[in-house]
Amino acid sequence: MPGKDYSATRFSGLSQITPANASKLRPIWSFSTGVLGGHEGQPLVVGSTMYVVTPFPNVLYAFDLTREGYPLKWKYRPDVNPASVGIACCDAINRGAVYADGKIIYNLLDGHTVAVDARSGQEIWKTQIADISQGETTPMAPFVAGNRVIVGPSGGEFGIYGWVKGLDLATGKIVWTAHNMGPDTLMLVRPETFGGGAGLGTSTWTGDSWRRGGGPVWGWITYDPQLDLIYFGVGNPGPYNPEQRPGENKWTNSVLARRPRDGSLVWGYQFTPHDSWDYDSNAEMILADFVVGGRLRKVLVHFDKNGFAYTLDRATGEVLVAEPFAHVTWAKSINRSTGLPVVDTTKTTGASRGNVQGICPSLEGGKSPASPAAFSPRTGLFYTATNNLCMSYQAVPVTRIPGTPYIGAATPYTAGPGGNMGSFIAWDAARGRKVWEIKEKFPVWSGSVVTAGDVVFYGTLDGWFKAADARSGRQLWKFKVGSGVVGAPISFRGPDGKQYVAIYAGIGGDWFLLSGDVRSDDPADVRPPADFAPDLARHTSQGGIVWIFGL
Amino acid sequence: MRYPQHVFAGGNPPPAGELANPLARDSGSGADGEKIFSSMNCDGCHGGGATGWVGPSLVDGRWRYGGSDGALYQSIFYGRPRGMPAYGGILSSSAIWKIISYIRAQPKPVTVPTETFK
Repeated sequence: MPGKDYSATRFSGLSQITPANASKLRPIWSFSTGVLGGHEGQPLVVGSTMYVVTPFPNVLYAFDLTREGYPLKWKYRPDVNPASVGIACCDAINRGAVYADGKIIYNLLDGHTVAVDARSGQEIWKTQIADISQGETTPMAPFVAGNRVIVGPSGGEFGIYGWVKGLDLATGKIVWTAHNMGPDTLMLVRPETFGGGAGLGTSTWTGDSWRRGGGPVWGWITYDPQLDLIYFGVGNPGPYNPEQRPGENKWTNSVLARRPRDGSLVWGYQFTPHDSWDYDSNAEMILADFVVGGRLRKVLVHFDKNGFAYTLDRATGEVLVAEPFAHVTWAKSINRSTGLPVVDTTKTTGASRGNVQGICPSLEGGKSPASPAAFSPRTGLFYTATNNLCMSYQAVPVTRIPGTPYIGAATPYTAGPGGNMGSFIAWDAARGRKVWEIKEKFPVWSGSVVTAGDVVFYGTLDGWFKAADARSGRQLWKFKVGSGVVGAPISFRGPDGKQYVAIYAGIGGDWFLLSGDVRSDDPADVRPPADFAPDLARHTSQGGIVWIFGL
Repeated sequence: MRYPQHVFAGGNPPPAGELANPLARDSGSGADGEKIFSSMNCDGCHGGGATGWVGPSLVDGRWRYGGSDGALYQSIFYGRPRGMPAYGGILSSSAIWKIISYIRAQPKPVTVPTETFK
């Protein structure tokens, strides 16, 4: 699983690496993927093989961990349409693969899902799921629940009509398609869903604006086998100019709970109604069971781009806890009984409202959904990267031309208060409070992994890979990995029985756009430094390296 | 019309003249081009002011596919392989030339800067 397990805990049960010995970590192996660009996502270790998917052109490598130097068993080179590179909003990234039924399954950027034989590297099936001519690309990591492969598109900046699809694991055939907005029939709404409040996918929009209303699914998916529900976040409504889509715009910026077998919608909750700030909700919904308010609850925990961390009852969507984990100005609080944010209307944007200043978080999010958090059942804490950025927001009217950007806002960033642009935090999701924080100079865009040795790992944009004590936040170790980290670390047991930690180095994603002159392989592309982080490119340039560390 | 970047066999381009912007002397065409640049969502990739975003800057003096009038016309009309859509089907010839006038009207460095950090 991309997130380690159905619950996306990114918790490793391995305990050889501890706060006492982490300072002895050393590089064991590294490998250049041959691709420069944002290396998001994570390697996948199955048995004694490590699988790595690169950004476009989406090469799949299988490394033999039983042999010295971890040579390739095989390499799979898919045929990917290069036109997809320009349809991807923010670098041609990929968020990784999933393993099921002897297959490695992942998405190509150009709107295809492939299943490759995990042993031989032979392609078993390839299915077109998305249409780049409509602005859809597919960098997300597929998820498997039962015999369904769940996939979704990017394209919130291209006016797509967002969806998720359920594919048959054996054949790749599309079994169901469920849209995130629009008529109930296209959203696969069950009659009893929302207590008779049918038609929300059209009544919360104006006219047919839902048809080009965005609502991408580019983040992570989780699954509760007992409740038989998959959970995923829906991204921003389009365009960024909210005056072109009056209404709450359900179910953009929401979590939806669906049945994996037929896709039917069981419940939904919208984090940011009528989004005016590009606060996608594609971040992972981590599943955990713990005591909230004196009762053991089955919850999902979600760190939204809007700066609030939510703890919801995952059977019903009831909001149990919603507290800010980052600096927030767009809303004062979340009303737990209505589930609605108490919005500061001076921060509401729109083409008629001019340039609205001082909006925090920026649209990079209090945390990026590209940077998945981790949960340790040992400490009971969640661990996540955060961004401390604010923005101004000048919305303008925009027209949709299929396959071209449909954005409608200029949104320059500034550093948030405190002098640090990011941090790595431990969060108590039962009480909604920060337990410890490691401040970082630059925004933190990596995922994390936490282990049974109570060590948590993350990386930074200036190219450090770090270990910290999961209980105290004490920094234990760091290593300069050669390029900024936007991937997610994993921990695995090698065939030799030892615990290892792996991470990608390769700055990109939004940081392809924002870090200035980090691209040196194209003489025609020399970027000026970003105003808010002018010296980031002093510390990193593009890369593409897989690292393995051990004791 | 020359297609130098497409001609590999023999290395000899077909005998023809270079395309030149017929609106180059039309003082209003750059302002029209700015509106088209925004309304056709060019700024969505190339950024406001064409200073670059997902797509490259068009005002830094560096060109991936050539910076002549003819090369720019071709890039817009036929598209380019890594995501530049072919606008030939939805923009008239004069609209394309107006966009080129707009790009030409932007302030450019006298020399292409080669130092990132000073």
